[in-house]
Amino acid sequence: MPPARRRRRLRRGLATPALLGLPVSWLVLFFVVPIAIVGAYSVDVYVLFPGPHHFTFTPWRTFFSQGDYFPLFVKSIEMSLSVSAVVVALAYPLAYFLALSGTRRKYVLLLILVVPFLTSYLLRVLAWKVILGSQGVVNTFLFSTGLRAEGHPLSFLLYSRFAVMLVLAYVWLPFVALPIFVTLESIDRRLLEAASDLYASRLQAFLRITLPLSLPGVVAAFLFVFIPTVGEFVTPSLVGGTSGYMYGNQIVDLFQTGFPDWETGAVLSLFLLAVILALTLVFVRFLRAGEARTA
Amino acid sequence: MEGEPFDRRLSRADMLRLAGLAAGVGVVAGPAAAADAAVAHVTKESGRLQVMDWVGYVNDLPHHATYAAYLKKYPHNKPQFTHMANESDALGKFHAGAHPDLFRPYVGWVKYFAKSGLVQPWNPKLISNFKHLNPFMVKAGQYKGKQYGIPDDWGFDAILYRKDKVHPKARSWGLLFDERYKGKIAWYDDIGMITVAGLYLKAKNPWNQTSAELDRSVNFLKKKIKLTKLIWAYESDLWQAFRGGDVWIAYAWPNDWVTMKKKFPVVYMHPREKPVSWVGMFMLLKGTPRPHLAHAYVNAWSSKHSGKWLEDNYGYGHANTQARPSSSQLLKALQLANPKAVTLPNAYFDRDIPQRALYAHLWEQVKASG
Repeated sequence: MPPARRRRRLRRGLATPALLGLPVSWLVLFFVVPIAIVGAYSVDVYVLFPGPHHFTFTPWRTFFSQGDYFPLFVKSIEMSLSVSAVVVALAYPLAYFLALSGTRRKYVLLLILVVPFLTSYLLRVLAWKVILGSQGVVNTFLFSTGLRAEGHPLSFLLYSRFAVMLVLAYVWLPFVALPIFVTLESIDRRLLEAASDLYASRLQAFLRITLPLSLPGVVAAFLFVFIPTVGEFVTPSLVGGTSGYMYGNQIVDLFQTGFPDWETGAVLSLFLLAVILALTLVFVRFLRAGEARTA
Repeated sequence: MEGEPFDRRLSRADMLRLAGLAAGVGVVAGPAAAADAAVAHVTKESGRLQVMDWVGYVNDLPHHATYAAYLKKYPHNKPQFTHMANESDALGKFHAGAHPDLFRPYVGWVKYFAKSGLVQPWNPKLISNFKHLNPFMVKAGQYKGKQYGIPDDWGFDAILYRKDKVHPKARSWGLLFDERYKGKIAWYDDIGMITVAGLYLKAKNPWNQTSAELDRSVNFLKKKIKLTKLIWAYESDLWQAFRGGDVWIAYAWPNDWVTMKKKFPVVYMHPREKPVSWVGMFMLLKGTPRPHLAHAYVNAWSSKHSGKWLEDNYGYGHANTQARPSSSQLLKALQLANPKAVTLPNAYFDRDIPQRALYAHLWEQVKASG
């Protein structure tokens, strides 16, 4: 092989590792290593309090045999699934309108949709306290219009499971609309024109063309919300009250505000990670099966 | 040796000089001044004093009043504050590598930390205000005859309620479990709730309940948690809920009463089963490089002036028996003129919980059942 070609081949061969080196190192250092450390706590290789210890699965055995945390985990999964489903259902028409309506202002409208991101997450959550409280905006409106008697507010609005789900949906809606928008934008318009030419109604075109082709974006959006909300603890602690307590709050308590039990906290964290990973793989397989059928 | 920093090496001559100086100053000015002179010459403790304290006491401008005397004397060693959400949080942080010079758990944790090997005893001789501190509280800070805790603020765990909305059947902890006020009750996020349940259900020793008593207390709390709107961890959360009208009854501290009575007609009720009294205890971390500065800081906190400021602004009592608030109403409500206000027959002094890890685990189960 001529030297120049050998040099080009070598440069191409080195380019990929060189480009990937930094992000992979970042991932290893700030994701894989911390997970490994948490894993070490979960099997007593590391312990918080000094004293004799050795590798053991006892924290895991205790977690599964006592089952104290499963009801809370199931509750958190239910809440996250509900939030994700509702948010996707709300975001889809929004993204559909922006992507396919042909409006010239779609990027301006998209910007307006994304503007809440420019404010502090904490401020946005705290604003809901002002809106939802017993003497908040909603209840004051109900009192002033006579829809509720004074002194009898809708108390379920704040410090409740409802409040947590509402605020999470509000916070994540812009996130969800974006991937769906991108997927819809990328759909070849000629397919829709062809459907129209073949006398398909708009509903048929939507069901047979638009929706299946946008499914990857929908699944991505769903996971975008579901994965972080399962482990949420900030929003539940601010607006959840007693009934809005979630699995993420339990983990925080074990690491921080309750009597420290990092070993059990590590087990809960890794269990959450494993379940999320499993569900993600199921979704992806489902998606691929769907794509294969469509093809 | 020439060129060596002072604090690196002391010759025999230096030691004799310093001993003579300390003795001479001691004769003229008394132990406190001797201690300060010794500090100035023997050790050059450098850097900012690292203080781990609760939110609300930490680094806020008005709170300089509690350690103003320290700042005046040691302007180059200003305290640097880190925050502890509670004692468990502090404990986790210590084991994770945090090394403040001192921190401030409450009396129920004195024995735990004293046994843990994380702290060292104070030298009361270096604290000139020590003699003015409430003797009951001072004794509560001792473990095996050594002074591990220096008492500072104190108060009660009791019940705060709005008297325009709530009509208790009895002056009792039962108000926190009253079915009539479902959705208007706030509990505190602490294993102290298991103690309160034990008090209400007449456990023999609520701080060290038997298995049967614990089952009863925990099941009772699991049954009653549905009545609560909020389990608060920070006072600001409680105040917001109270101000917003979302909560009418709460497990609360005197400061909460002082804050809420500005807006609502509230009552701070001492239940007939007795409130629980608590005392904040400064504790000195083992191996701190600034022990004398820590003593000076605690001495400033222990002064009559600091005590009065705390009582006026927080509604808590102060361990200095000479401190008196401006408000006679507060004086009466906290029984500040009664040195035994924190003990029986007035209240149960909070204490060590031998089964702390178990109580914590059970409390997490209670919260998860909500």
